[in-house]
Amino acid sequence: MANTKINATGWYQKVLRIFTRSKTPIASLILLYVLMIVIFASFSPHYLTVGNFRSIFNNLARFGILSAGITIVMIGGGFDLSIGSAMGLIGTICAVIMLQFPFVPVGVVMVIAALVGCFLGLINGVIITKIGINPIITTLGTLAIFRGVAFFWAHLNVRIYSRVWDAVGRTFIAGTIPLTTVYIVVIFVILALVLKFTRFGRNLYTIGGNEYLAKLAGIKVDRTKIASYVISGLFAGLAAIVLTSQLGSGRPEYGSGAELEVLTIVVLGGVTVGGGKGNFLGTFIALVIIGSISNGLVLLDVPIFLRMVVKGGLLVLAVSIDALRNRKRLQLY
Amino acid sequence: MADDREGTAVKKQKKFFISNTITLVMVLIAMFIFFSLASRHFLSTYNILSMVSNLSFMGIVAAVLTMVMISGEIDFSIGGNIGLTSVVAAILIEGGVPGILVVAICLVMGCAIGVFNGFLVTVVGVNSIIATVGTMSVWRGLAYTFSDGRSVLAIDPVIDFLGRGSVFNIPFPIILFVIVFAISYVVMNLSKWGRKIYSIGVNPMASFLSGINVKQVKFLAFVFCGLAAALGGLILTSLSMVGMPQHGQGLELTIISAILLGGTALGGGKGQILGTLTGILILSVLYNGLTMLDVYYYHVQIAQGAVLIAVVATYEVRQKRLQQ
Repeated sequence: MANTKINATGWYQKVLRIFTRSKTPIASLILLYVLMIVIFASFSPHYLTVGNFRSIFNNLARFGILSAGITIVMIGGGFDLSIGSAMGLIGTICAVIMLQFPFVPVGVVMVIAALVGCFLGLINGVIITKIGINPIITTLGTLAIFRGVAFFWAHLNVRIYSRVWDAVGRTFIAGTIPLTTVYIVVIFVILALVLKFTRFGRNLYTIGGNEYLAKLAGIKVDRTKIASYVISGLFAGLAAIVLTSQLGSGRPEYGSGAELEVLTIVVLGGVTVGGGKGNFLGTFIALVIIGSISNGLVLLDVPIFLRMVVKGGLLVLAVSIDALRNRKRLQLY
Repeated sequence: MADDREGTAVKKQKKFFISNTITLVMVLIAMFIFFSLASRHFLSTYNILSMVSNLSFMGIVAAVLTMVMISGEIDFSIGGNIGLTSVVAAILIEGGVPGILVVAICLVMGCAIGVFNGFLVTVVGVNSIIATVGTMSVWRGLAYTFSDGRSVLAIDPVIDFLGRGSVFNIPFPIILFVIVFAISYVVMNLSKWGRKIYSIGVNPMASFLSGINVKQVKFLAFVFCGLAAALGGLILTSLSMVGMPQHGQGLELTIISAILLGGTALGGGKGQILGTLTGILILSVLYNGLTMLDVYYYHVQIAQGAVLIAVVATYEVRQKRLQQ
């Protein structure tokens, strides 16, 4: 029956349907990406080179890892604004440990980074679920606190001299594929499988869809939500490792404003603000798009301050499209 | 019977709010005493006057943002708005435009910014948090673009008077601050429009069904918020004598913290202008006192974040107990 209905309309309507009716914006995103490549490539001869794509993908790493964590949190109906500050704080802690205690092996420092990340996420999660404060207020507060704590080490000149640490974010497989891209792909694939096939993942979607019903259905809502914030913190820690590796130092101001960029990526990728919707394929494509735009703006020689305008405008555009697409009926109030 | 129960619920809510305000005022007094004992410069007339002048521009924005937040929306773009206003004002003054005209242009621009935010939220239907986080970066970016990242001197008699003039020995920003708070108080507590805002914050659907033009009211609240932020930007420009694109950076955190401290709920429907006043006083005393005690700026942030979480936590815990 449904088939005859579709056949009755023209092929162009079928195509249109893919872009307007599908539950995820992936088709529109791919179209957007192709359009962008055409535009940038026609304006700059350097755009379609291996070297350029290498740098685009290597620069995706920190935002990619952060957006993995926040995708999990936002699908569960939560919000995490503190990831940028958490990344700065953890990066500073790693750099300070390596500066003050050079005998600590690099592997241990990485484990410490991951653990500190989990701990920061745990703080957020416990405050949000056990005390019951709105996640935006909580993470707005911890954003300030984490950043403030990081500045305790602002007087140190925290350079990183470890070769192993440097290699984490700067290695290229066969000279072309960045190792960081491998991390992102591995992380995204694992998390996508977790969301799809584990009880945790399914519970997360249910909680994001309707928290009250989830509670009635016997899902341990608090525990699942805390776990999602811990995961977000963990990825802030991993992002801090990559970031400090690429920059060769750990300063407390690193990662300020990252939450804006990551939020743009995640919302563009189709994760809704209320929760319950979104997947990792969308986030990944949005990540590549935002990374390519940042890169394209540099190649087109757009002044640095104007890039801020463009990025903010993109976020507004992304959420506007999202709002118009998800509008089922006329909104009266 | 049902009426009785509802009546007591309302009374309980009122009692709850009053006891919250008393707690806040006590916190304020305790902090005041602590800082006057800890630092001998804290209680000097000069310090108190400068503190109040400095909080005046934040207070003006906070009073109006409270309205937006009671209606259930939020505006993160105030900081960017302040930066853009300040840069545009300074550039116009540099170009020789008379002061009165500069003030008028900036206020109109503030309204336009509010119109844009309001359009996104009410007509397009975007979640206001994300929409205004995006526009925040747009306004800030425009401020940087117009000024090319430098700070522009802004010296003009009218602008000077706005932040550093005084009438009967009372600094002018304090007068503006009191006027804006008085107007907001009257609007929110005595006018029809104010009651509509509360009603929308509690239940937008029911408000719509009872004949309130929800979109229009929210839209207007955003326009007022843009206007107030522009006024705040002008005062800040006057206080610092320069138009800087960095002006107001991070201010949204401080102002929203102050409003939440004052008991306004993030979901809307609850809150008082006087609560916001106490909230902003507490944060200003905290900032000023810690600065007087020689605490590093970035560490003051820790105190601010901690105070925000602690106070909202006590609200939540007590609210839960009230519902049981």
